[in-house]
Amino acid sequence: MSIEEANPTSPAGNPTGERKTLDGQGLRKLVEAGLVWLRTNQQTVNALNVFPVPDGDTGTNMVLTMQAAYNEVANSGEKNIGKVAHDIAQGALMGARGNSGVILSQIWRGFARALDNLEAMNADLFVQAIHESRNTAYKGVVRPVEGTILTVIKDISAAVDEARKENDDLVILLEKAVEAADASVKRTPDLLPILKQAGVVDSGGKGLFFILEGMLRKVKGLTLETNVAAVQPLSAMQIEQSAEEIEPGQDYEVVVDFRPRQELDLEKFYADLANMGTSIQVGEGDGMYRMHIHVPTEKRYTPIDYIMGLGTITKVAMENLLAQMEEIEQKTEAPKLSLTPVKPGQIAVVAVAPGPGIARIFASLGAAAIVEGGQTMNPSTEEILSAFENLPTDKIIILPNNKNIILAARNSAEVTVKKVKVIPCRSVPQGISALFCYDPDGDLEEVAEEMTRAIAEVETGEITTATRSVEINGVKVQQGEVIALLDGELVLSSHSLDEALLGLLDKASTEDRERITFFYGDNISRSEVNRLVDLVREKYPGHEIELHEGGQPNYQFIIAIE
Amino acid sequence: MNDSSNPIGNIFVSYRAIATVACQSALSSYGVVGLAAKNLAEGLVQVLVKDPTLGVDVRFDDKHIKIDLYIIIEYGTRIKEVANTVSENVRYQVEKTFGLPVSEVNVHVRGLRISNID
Repeated sequence: MSIEEANPTSPAGNPTGERKTLDGQGLRKLVEAGLVWLRTNQQTVNALNVFPVPDGDTGTNMVLTMQAAYNEVANSGEKNIGKVAHDIAQGALMGARGNSGVILSQIWRGFARALDNLEAMNADLFVQAIHESRNTAYKGVVRPVEGTILTVIKDISAAVDEARKENDDLVILLEKAVEAADASVKRTPDLLPILKQAGVVDSGGKGLFFILEGMLRKVKGLTLETNVAAVQPLSAMQIEQSAEEIEPGQDYEVVVDFRPRQELDLEKFYADLANMGTSIQVGEGDGMYRMHIHVPTEKRYTPIDYIMGLGTITKVAMENLLAQMEEIEQKTEAPKLSLTPVKPGQIAVVAVAPGPGIARIFASLGAAAIVEGGQTMNPSTEEILSAFENLPTDKIIILPNNKNIILAARNSAEVTVKKVKVIPCRSVPQGISALFCYDPDGDLEEVAEEMTRAIAEVETGEITTATRSVEINGVKVQQGEVIALLDGELVLSSHSLDEALLGLLDKASTEDRERITFFYGDNISRSEVNRLVDLVREKYPGHEIELHEGGQPNYQFIIAIE
Repeated sequence: MNDSSNPIGNIFVSYRAIATVACQSALSSYGVVGLAAKNLAEGLVQVLVKDPTLGVDVRFDDKHIKIDLYIIIEYGTRIKEVANTVSENVRYQVEKTFGLPVSEVNVHVRGLRISNID
């Protein structure tokens, strides 16, 4: 008989009831609970990153592995626990992601092996299955590193072994397993110096703990969807940034400082607050608590009244977020850059952009990070490096978009531990043209080659004002004249912008091309731009003509001819 | 031999030293249960001398280190993920230890070890 069959009306079960056996459906539900709870705490696990050890996405990897495992049994009505466990193990194996995912799949594999073809699991079998999990996990490595998920499964195994001597109740055994996992995770920094240096516990172990804790919470009927572990030190609360996360309807931000009369029941506190509003944060320091919440206008006093019942309020701060938002919007007139998010394992593109408009174009075409820089303001190696390091993936393609920046990009690529390919694009149009060939899920080498090839398919024109008198390539330039460059070479100089622009298109193989794209700079007015572009339209009626605000300094126009 | 210049002289690092580090970090990588000889001749030598650089090939092209690993993986693990992890580990460990950039880590899966049959 399964847990759920014993309590058909409440799948969570009776917290005090004993459970001697578990069947396939019971296991399926527990795995689901483990997955949900792990997902809820995914970011906590991801944050346990020992930079720059290349395993900073443990939470995500474990969730994906558990998801793949659960998918195998999600719609199964199988009662036989051996079969269900086998399917779970199979799913975990096929969907294993990252190092922690591979180990997790081995844990499931051992677990399934112990239950092979059995109808149901009792306490003895549970202990045996955990043993087998440990053994299988350890078999996968010649030199096990202690202080990792391996140590945690070993400690769990020892704990359930001990607990079995006095008990044959599965719930108690699971409780012991969770306790042991928690204690073991807390010990990991003592075993692995690198964790101690970084001031974190092992992420894989913590992930395993969350899976087991999720199962236990399910059995006890506790919530799995909200993260209740989040009481932070007061100093760590970041309330000012929350204005950006405002949700419609939640117009007021209320912050209350209080001293509770008695020990705060955090789970109940969170649950009560969740009924009132969103963006809940609770901080604690020295017996003082600070609560932060977003609530709708009509409920703005409810949290204060509620907390009044819990203890003494020392301070209340209330702010109208809507008004705040309007203010913020007015201040930042330029639309925010919407960079393309990238997942670990995918290829990310970093683009160097000389102006806000061009930055937006790169962002909309798939760039995951923008470094500001151009002809007169080359970004430092360090700026480029920090862009690399801040991306959640280790496969990166950089578009320098200027011949003077290619070198800095190459230097950065050599210094970083990530895999970086530099596309030698010498101008913004080349960069954009390369970005059209970008495939986040492709092979880094192949994508980079493809993108490099795309550079040749575009001609770049640039219009700027000469800063000194000079003669290059047989073109005489007077200071202050308008000059035109084609693919970086000076081609003509003129007193008028009109002449320079049309002359440039003349020199380029415009006739053979189909599209002309203009990016106008911050030193030319919009009406002037329109007038000039109309001239071009007249001269090249068969061409597709596009106009974008580039916002670059010094250059009236950057032109892509393709 | 590779060298990194520093103000008071040069530091020379042998391929063997790099191979040893690579070999050790490969073996502590999850899913890798052994390293394998590249070819039969090397395999025979291995029988006679216990070599700490077995299954690792290191090359250097003036600027970057390239490493080839010949490994045996535990049957029943996801090979692709194990191979990715081992190449990351080896690259990280070698770069950290020697301060030289590693441009390539090629992983050759030479076999699988079956320790349990499901």
